[in-house]
Amino acid sequence: MGDTQYIGKSVKRVEDKRFITGQGRYTDDIQLPGMVYAHIVRSPYAHAKINSFDIASAQSAPGVVAVFTGDDIKKAGMGGVPCGWQLHFKNGDPMVEPPHPLLIASGDTVKHVGDGVAVVIADTRANARDAADLIYVDYEVFDAVTAAADAVKPGAPLVHESAPGNICFDWEIGNPRAEVDAAMATAHHITRMEYRNQRLAPNAIEPRCAIGDYDGANDRYTLYTTSQNPHLTRLLMCAFVLGLPENKVRVVAPDVGGGFGSKIYHYIEEALMIWASKQLGKPIKWTSTRTEAFLTDAHGRDHTTTAEMGFDQDGKIVALRINTLANVGAYLSTFAAVTPTYLHGTLLQGLYTTPKINLDLKAVFTHSTVIDAYRGAGRPEATYLLERLMSKAAIEMGIDQAELRYKNFIPPFDGVTQPGYQTNVALQYDSGNYKGMLDKGLELIGYQDFLKEQAEARKQGRYLGIGVSTYIEACGIAPSAVVGSLGCRAGLYESAHVRVQPTGTVSVYTGSHSHGQGHETTFAQVVAEYFGIPLSSVEVHHGDTESVAFGMGTYGSRSLAVGGSAIVASCQKVIDKGTKIAAHKLECSEDDLEYSAGTWTVKGTDRSIGFGAIAFTAYVPHQYPKGLEPGMDFSSFYDPSNFTYPNGCHIAVVEVDIETGKVKLLRFAAVDDVGNVINPMIVDGQIHGGLVQGIGQAMLEGVIFDEMGNQTTASYMDYAMPRADDVPSFELGRQVTPCPHNPLGVKGAGEAGAIGSTPAVVNAVADALAPFGVRDLEMPLHSEKVWRAIQAVAKG
Amino acid sequence: MILNGQHTLPAHPKTIWDLMMDANVLARITPGITRLELIEENVYKTIAEIKVGPVGGAFTGTLKVTDIVEHEKFSLVVQQNSRMGNAQATVNMLLEALEDGLATNVSFKGDVKLSGMMATMGQRVLAPVASMLSGQFFEALKKELP
Repeated sequence: MGDTQYIGKSVKRVEDKRFITGQGRYTDDIQLPGMVYAHIVRSPYAHAKINSFDIASAQSAPGVVAVFTGDDIKKAGMGGVPCGWQLHFKNGDPMVEPPHPLLIASGDTVKHVGDGVAVVIADTRANARDAADLIYVDYEVFDAVTAAADAVKPGAPLVHESAPGNICFDWEIGNPRAEVDAAMATAHHITRMEYRNQRLAPNAIEPRCAIGDYDGANDRYTLYTTSQNPHLTRLLMCAFVLGLPENKVRVVAPDVGGGFGSKIYHYIEEALMIWASKQLGKPIKWTSTRTEAFLTDAHGRDHTTTAEMGFDQDGKIVALRINTLANVGAYLSTFAAVTPTYLHGTLLQGLYTTPKINLDLKAVFTHSTVIDAYRGAGRPEATYLLERLMSKAAIEMGIDQAELRYKNFIPPFDGVTQPGYQTNVALQYDSGNYKGMLDKGLELIGYQDFLKEQAEARKQGRYLGIGVSTYIEACGIAPSAVVGSLGCRAGLYESAHVRVQPTGTVSVYTGSHSHGQGHETTFAQVVAEYFGIPLSSVEVHHGDTESVAFGMGTYGSRSLAVGGSAIVASCQKVIDKGTKIAAHKLECSEDDLEYSAGTWTVKGTDRSIGFGAIAFTAYVPHQYPKGLEPGMDFSSFYDPSNFTYPNGCHIAVVEVDIETGKVKLLRFAAVDDVGNVINPMIVDGQIHGGLVQGIGQAMLEGVIFDEMGNQTTASYMDYAMPRADDVPSFELGRQVTPCPHNPLGVKGAGEAGAIGSTPAVVNAVADALAPFGVRDLEMPLHSEKVWRAIQAVAKG
Repeated sequence: MILNGQHTLPAHPKTIWDLMMDANVLARITPGITRLELIEENVYKTIAEIKVGPVGGAFTGTLKVTDIVEHEKFSLVVQQNSRMGNAQATVNMLLEALEDGLATNVSFKGDVKLSGMMATMGQRVLAPVASMLSGQFFEALKKELP
């Protein structure tokens, strides 16, 4: 980007002052006069019919203001929380969309442990909690099924009567299956894997929280909530659940402590607090406990997959054939339908020239917590599939794992002088240099030296392994017309409002929400750079439907690519108007002016006027161009023309203790191409966080249910989160291939780390254990599982 | 969750049987039991205080004795409710005479179904707790022997 003042600089985050001094303002910090507190009574059973409620003792318990059950919700005639994306069966029928009521009524069935059945509202949190224990719900308990593979078996317990065989929809993408079968039949070697990409809990550090506040005098509602996209929540809640006019509803998502996807969705508690607040005429707060978070925050992953990759004699891929069962849980969460399909199937080209690809997928209901997008959302599942197959095939065929990738990479293309790359699974990649990426990764880790070290170590009985993983993801979500044609019930543009104040400071209102990403800094850097003004003159606002025009929110690594581009569009409008005013003031033609470093200058002269003076003139238009409106205030909507395609190469080095199966992650190198980088420190931080989550999946995390459908991993005593001492200090590299179709040339960095890292770690362990004949490994790589894998092969 | 175990006690099966069928004795020897009240033949109402790992508190429920073959075997059908969750269990008890009736091998085998917080939070530590509680039960039973 040449000489810049702010872009490309590791400016310290302006929001951190309040965060690290404990002055962040999160939803649960908000206290309103007369506020009362809600506790939700949840089903202890995964599948049971509610015969009746007995709430009399709870109603008369100390401090109790009200008790509502599913029966009250049913009586009020409210809709359930909707799914934001509609897919169709292969035969054209719409997917099965069973209702997801706010609370389950008597006569109906609860469908997962944690399904809400009643809400107790009291003067204190403790009183609400105590009274909830006095509610007696008479349940008739049925058998439950939580694994997708079990749910599709004949005779499995049904989650919804409307979904025979528990199938929500079936779906395919790629080349016709017959063509893939024919290509596969010509393969010299076929590598096959049958595995489960395990279910993960998202674990944002701040649990969900919702405050409903009804203002009877003005008939207005305010929802404070832990959301990644307050406008989307307002849209879904008003239009589908409560039937409220949007201009009467304000949704505020103040500081939010992490989301990772889990705070995209419109949850029942949000609508419930708004509805109950109107019933009582009081503000009501609900705050999730950690165990409730495990039971009710949308989970991620959970694919059960059989995949085969065919190769010719030279190691070139000839075909990829996949059958997957995608667990969606008990109901369809907001983006549950798109995550395993268009965010997963479309990435199965990977970085390779695979000529024939077919994914056949069934989305399956089970008696379990809903599943939706979790950091990476479908793309980690696609990358795990491709990259495990590649490294496994390399071992089977006796080809170096890097070499096999080089043989199959799509050749470099810039997307400007050369066209984008059309995949067999619908996407057109914008630009990339995948060979260059792997070159950089191998150099960073010292690949050839490592192979020597590995050979030496093996002689001493130490088993080191190296795992290569390359990935591509589709981010910057997404062109509205494209997603609309694929079933999305929303547009995926972004809005930005740039308001230049009379003295030349700038307020920016963005529809992107920041919950750890550092938008308040990065977006300010963009604006300060475009205007050539100090960073301290720019303030970024987000998260309030009252001040921001509209917004689709933050997910899919879209904030800078889509939200940032909208800001640039508004900045350009400011400069264009400023040029008109400057031309008038300097008595020259607009064409004679150039704008740089906050100043309009008449070309070839020393006559100039500054940004502040022009802003002032816009608001005090005494000497002003005829016909030009006063003010300096512009909003823009930016709808991207394509997805962006960040890509990268992640390499893990591990040592496995053969006696115990204990895996130690020794080194981790990541080279990512996220396009242009505005703030390298923030991008590194995003990559670090993503890597830890991806490594967490490989080595530690997993949601487990017992046969009754209870989650036995619903606390931090049982769900293993990665900690600082589980990961090495990361070695990061970067390649920059600017995105050719947005003004900043950025691709997105939020999910990259979580996408490439998981298979790198598993590939490294498989490489370490290759001399023993171990080929398949089950995540998470707990020492017991690794030890058993070694023993299973040893026993033949 | 499957529960099973066995204990050898130095008494005739009949002696053991009589103790185990005596509500007063059961109330004394069962760990955590604070109240055991006969409500109909072979059906007791129970109140117990039990702590399992991170969750603990008062359980109320019923205990039914069924499938009785005198001095030989019976089944316990247990339904317990608490604010931490509910437990349902059927445990088959078998008394076998050893050494010509000088001793008795008491074995039990059962299936426990849990729900609620107890299942979510306590399951990981439940098996060792169950084993400890059954151990305490049989130790106490031994002390009741004449």
